[in-house]
Amino acid sequence: MTEYVPKNPGTITKYIVVESPTVTASELAIHAYEIAEGAMIKETCFGLAINGKEDVVDGLIQKLRAIDPDHIFVKDRGFVPGDPRRCRANLGGARPGFHGIEYETTVLPYVSHGLGELRSRDAEGIPAPQNPLETKKLDVYTLKKLMEAPES
Amino acid sequence: MTTPVRIAQISCGPEYSGVQQEINEAAKAVNGEIFFPDIALKDIIRDFDAFGLDVRSPDLKLAIARAKALVDGRVDADAVFIATCFRCAEAAIVRNELRHYIHDHSKLPVVSYSFTERTTAGTLLTRMEALTTIARRRALLARETQQGLTLGVDSGSSTTKAVVMKDNTIIGTGWQPTTEVLKSAEDVIGDALKEAGITRDEVEAVGTTGYGRFLVGKKINADLIQEELTVNSKGAVYLADHQHGPATVIDIGGMDNKAITVQDGIPGTFTMGGICAGASGRFLEMTAKRLGVDITELGPLAMKGFAGHVPMNSYCIVFGTQSLVNALAAGSSREDVAAAACHSVAEQVFEQQLQEVDIREPVIMVGGTSLIEGLVYAMGELLQTKIMVPRYSQYIGAVGSALLASGFIRDD
Amino acid sequence: MAKVFIYPTTSLILSDLVARYGHTPLSSAIAIRERVQTAGLESVPLQITPEEPKKGLKWAAVEVPSGVRGRMALYGPMIESCEAAIIINDADLAFGCMGCARTNELIKFLIRQKEVPKIDLNYPKNEEDGVKFVAAIKRFLKGLEGAK
Repeated sequence: MTEYVPKNPGTITKYIVVESPTVTASELAIHAYEIAEGAMIKETCFGLAINGKEDVVDGLIQKLRAIDPDHIFVKDRGFVPGDPRRCRANLGGARPGFHGIEYETTVLPYVSHGLGELRSRDAEGIPAPQNPLETKKLDVYTLKKLMEAPES
Repeated sequence: MTTPVRIAQISCGPEYSGVQQEINEAAKAVNGEIFFPDIALKDIIRDFDAFGLDVRSPDLKLAIARAKALVDGRVDADAVFIATCFRCAEAAIVRNELRHYIHDHSKLPVVSYSFTERTTAGTLLTRMEALTTIARRRALLARETQQGLTLGVDSGSSTTKAVVMKDNTIIGTGWQPTTEVLKSAEDVIGDALKEAGITRDEVEAVGTTGYGRFLVGKKINADLIQEELTVNSKGAVYLADHQHGPATVIDIGGMDNKAITVQDGIPGTFTMGGICAGASGRFLEMTAKRLGVDITELGPLAMKGFAGHVPMNSYCIVFGTQSLVNALAAGSSREDVAAAACHSVAEQVFEQQLQEVDIREPVIMVGGTSLIEGLVYAMGELLQTKIMVPRYSQYIGAVGSALLASGFIRDD
Repeated sequence: MAKVFIYPTTSLILSDLVARYGHTPLSSAIAIRERVQTAGLESVPLQITPEEPKKGLKWAAVEVPSGVRGRMALYGPMIESCEAAIIINDADLAFGCMGCARTNELIKFLIRQKEVPKIDLNYPKNEEDGVKFVAAIKRFLKGLEGAK
């Protein structure tokens, strides 16, 4: 068994995913480089990965988010950008988590829309979504209505 | 250094069981390189739906889609390693079905394995070696006749065997219990050479296999050092004169068991078990000792008995033996007890290993235990087939090594 | 700031919204980071060693597959320390850390057993859903502030 000595201890890494009609990942990257303050920035197919001390990364993210707050999303990452253990180039294929983000990016436009709407609307006045644990069965009246509806 | 064999890993759970490192190391040790077939989310959704096995675990969906990408040729690989957690029913179903699927729809060699957190690179090594050999040495494995004068040595966990072959005929054999690995090897080689009436210098090529293959191979300067899965399957179809078409090779060894499906002499899928002594030749040795007979007499004794007369509570070498002892105390005949022991070993191998390979006739039993006719009979009953036991079956590894070693004879 | 367990623990969307509305998302990335940044024996890729499935015995018995127990060694402590939870119920395509259905069933059960504020949702399927989804999470997270 080989001894393991961690690299970059005490730092954090966060992903920034851009799904925006106005800002591209490379534009965001250029902006990030300008204000990097020593953080490591790496452009990815989704957006950016930023590594550094927690306060530096968080401060940087706050500034970047402000560029297009409804279309920039952030999450933690366990590995430093380009870590060979998680890098596609070394594994042959994407790490499994990639496909999870791939899926969620298909949902992001709806979330972005929600964030945009909530700028002008009060969350309190918006009806709650259906609780998935209380999925309702089709009631008999709706069923009858559907049966009697003319076929298109 | 040759190009590494690219082994596509299709798995669920190894990273979270702490065994991915062990898988990587086992592959690396045999110049293999693990990689993960690259596919996109849309492929996963489409291929999982198309495959039709509706599992819940996302990583198993990913595994199915990756297998499909390999079969469809969208991702290149030399071999496939399928691994899922031991004791996961959902994963076991996927593992088996993907193994079938890849085997039936591609030429890729496959090995499947269910791991625990205790799985080590050492456990995986023989399997990985077989996998890379099948991928890399198809030409060598295609050899059907032995040429020249070659020596094969099988340094097994219980016994060491040697065979001298000349122009496709066995001319000398040696057999001894393994004590000191190198000394036992030297002794059996001496016996085989003596019987063949030749000296060591006349031997044109040497092959070794078995647990001690590396140590012995290095010492005697072997041309071929090869794990026993490929060697034994080659040896089995050679001795059984069934080198074309399908076959299944079963070798119940002293320490582990092998079940290998073979197509045209090349191993397809195989399993290797070694967790339980109750499914090994050792159990039969202990039974023979308890019955006061030589191991060679156990088989004929078992043939006269009926296993069903002796209730066996366990396959375990300790508790199973206890059942046998209790039966003797209760008045069971020695014949019935011998038959019950044979049935117990055969049944455990059948339940725990043969389910992992697709049995294709003829079934060939090899290794020292194939000489115990009660065991062969019990296995035949379970598989509902007549089992072939070729002549020299106890020398299987040595014969396979001598056969394959002749590929290393230089023309000069 | 409340520690909010998110399900799927790999979710970008939940991680983002929890942090956006001022709380701490408990995500698998943090559990992995802890391991990747701790010295020990090398165990690629996640620095989950064979010891982790043994630690997982606290949440699942030995007959439970090692992959479940190894994952529970990541999630068990997170579930124990969480002060609230957001669960997306139709997260069928979250892989890797969320790749095992048996672990996921156990995680959801343990969260439901725990007496903390929680909200169950599905992923939004259209823009209207998106508004309700974000509003529901915002209300839930603001409510946590009030409770503290």
